Amino acid sequence: MNSMGTIELDALEVRLGGRAILNGLSGSLRGQAIGLLGPNGAGKSTLINTLLGFHRATSGTARVFGLDTYRDRAQIRGGIGYMPENDSFIGNMSGVRFVRYMAELAGLPSAEALERAHEALFYVGLGEVRYRKVNTYSLGMKQLIKLAQALAHGPRLLILDEPTNGLDPIARQRMIQLIQQIRKEGSVRLLISSHLLRDIDETCDEVLILKSGRIAALCNIEEERRSNRSFMELETVGATESFSVSIRGLGCEVACFPGGRIKLVLPEHVEARDLYLIASEQKVQIRRMHVRRDSLEDIFLRAMDYGPMDNGVMVTEGGRPAHVHP
Amino acid sequence: MSIHKHDYRAYTGRVTPVWTRIFVLGRYSLAEAWSSKFTTVLFVVCLIPPIGALFTIYLANNPAARLLMGNVGPRVLAIDGAFFLNVLTIQSWLAMALASWIAPRLITLDLVDNALPILLSHPISRFGYVLGKCVALFATLSIVTWVPCLLLFAYQGYASPVPWAAANLRIAVGMFAGSLVWIGLISLLGLALSSWVKWRVVATGIIFAAILVPAGVGAIVSEVLRTKWGLLLNLPLVAFSLWQRLLGLHDHVDELKKLPVGAILAVLALACCLFVVMLNKRIRAREVVRG
Repeated sequence: MNSMGTIELDALEVRLGGRAILNGLSGSLRGQAIGLLGPNGAGKSTLINTLLGFHRATSGTARVFGLDTYRDRAQIRGGIGYMPENDSFIGNMSGVRFVRYMAELAGLPSAEALERAHEALFYVGLGEVRYRKVNTYSLGMKQLIKLAQALAHGPRLLILDEPTNGLDPIARQRMIQLIQQIRKEGSVRLLISSHLLRDIDETCDEVLILKSGRIAALCNIEEERRSNRSFMELETVGATESFSVSIRGLGCEVACFPGGRIKLVLPEHVEARDLYLIASEQKVQIRRMHVRRDSLEDIFLRAMDYGPMDNGVMVTEGGRPAHVHP
Repeated sequence: MSIHKHDYRAYTGRVTPVWTRIFVLGRYSLAEAWSSKFTTVLFVVCLIPPIGALFTIYLANNPAARLLMGNVGPRVLAIDGAFFLNVLTIQSWLAMALASWIAPRLITLDLVDNALPILLSHPISRFGYVLGKCVALFATLSIVTWVPCLLLFAYQGYASPVPWAAANLRIAVGMFAGSLVWIGLISLLGLALSSWVKWRVVATGIIFAAILVPAGVGAIVSEVLRTKWGLLLNLPLVAFSLWQRLLGLHDHVDELKKLPVGAILAVLALACCLFVVMLNKRIRAREVVRG
């Protein structure tokens, strides 16, 4: 499965009401859990709807597991579990009946669907309320039952649209833990759309950032973290120049600025303690030390500031690429 | 997944064929329709006229019973095409009442709770969704239209002292075909209007209004302009005209009110197309925002 991306986009354009909502998206999403980020109106939901076959590509193609999202939509939907953003259920049904119904629609025989419905409801933590009508559920329970119905038929791809929408901190944490467990189990790929960077950061290994219907960034968060070096800012008093020469001797990239300010990049084998030792030897005072690592927020903000990718490369300030692979 | 272990496990079992999902929808819709006690009451009411007709057939074919009733003439208790047309007409109106009650239960609940994005994210098309709902309506309405009509026909064939069924087979075929046309028409009408109205009770009223108001307007047009074409707005009358022809009773039709078969079929087709367009607009997983 790794040789072929879970989702393949090739110059995908979707126009709705005469307006281009998705504009020339190209890329291969291969991660176990793919985060879909972007501001409101960026085209996240339209992309999900296109992947589900609700919208037809105006030009270009979108493929899920190698199948065309519109032509082969019935086949694709059989292997997808979808948790929509908004309330979507049949309120008049009991929880277990609703999940069983959805599992049967996904292709499970009636008896297996019932068994899986019970299991799915226990799995998400709704076991005790599974015989209650869905319209009596709280907002958090409604989110969970949407997840249960998406899981019940054992999909290959789980699409979660704003899964933590409207949840209190405890319910949110529970939802994040569930997603992490599902990801860890390994048989399900996840596509998670959210405007909460923290949710994506905690659950995904790859992120697709959309802006105005275009890809602003597409990067592997794990690789980004692994390849990311530690940047450090120091404010020193004393013999700054000889200090900088000494720490350069440790293998650090160093840049000195007026006022005793030093910016450096630490190699993996150098610790902050080594800097303190050199400073102590040279009678240099370190008044301030600020360690900074690239977070998903940095990636997102860069994507938002510097616009869409050009030929698959997102150019960032200072010439530092964001490890983007189209 | 496991209830006791509380961990996720993938499903590796058998999967049903895609075409059977329509019947899953139909089955759950049927259960939803019959979950109301009023549906049961309405259904029982729908069975009263066929029981009356059954008794009439019994009397017509039982000399002793007719003697007890004062030896009424054969014309009073004639079991012929006109008799079955009356039964079909009564049952069709009752089916109309049943459909106007059931159809909103099938559609509005899904729309009010915004269930379509989830339902249609499964391997079922919008056409399949509507077909599934139609299956539920067809099953329910069949029990009060062509099924009792054909059972009465069979009983008449059995009870008649002379070979009757073979000679009147057209009546059976006509009742079956006429019922199918009517069921199709009111099912689409009920689903289409229900998909546009949020409240079930209002939807029921609107379904009746959609039948009766155009019929009234048509009657006024016909009277004022002294033309029969206004009657084309009267769907029950149009259907009745079709049934007369299907049962071979067209000789009894008033010439002034006789509608051409082509016009009847065109009106029915046009009405069905309109209902399909209405459904197509509303049965969507997502609204398309224009502008």
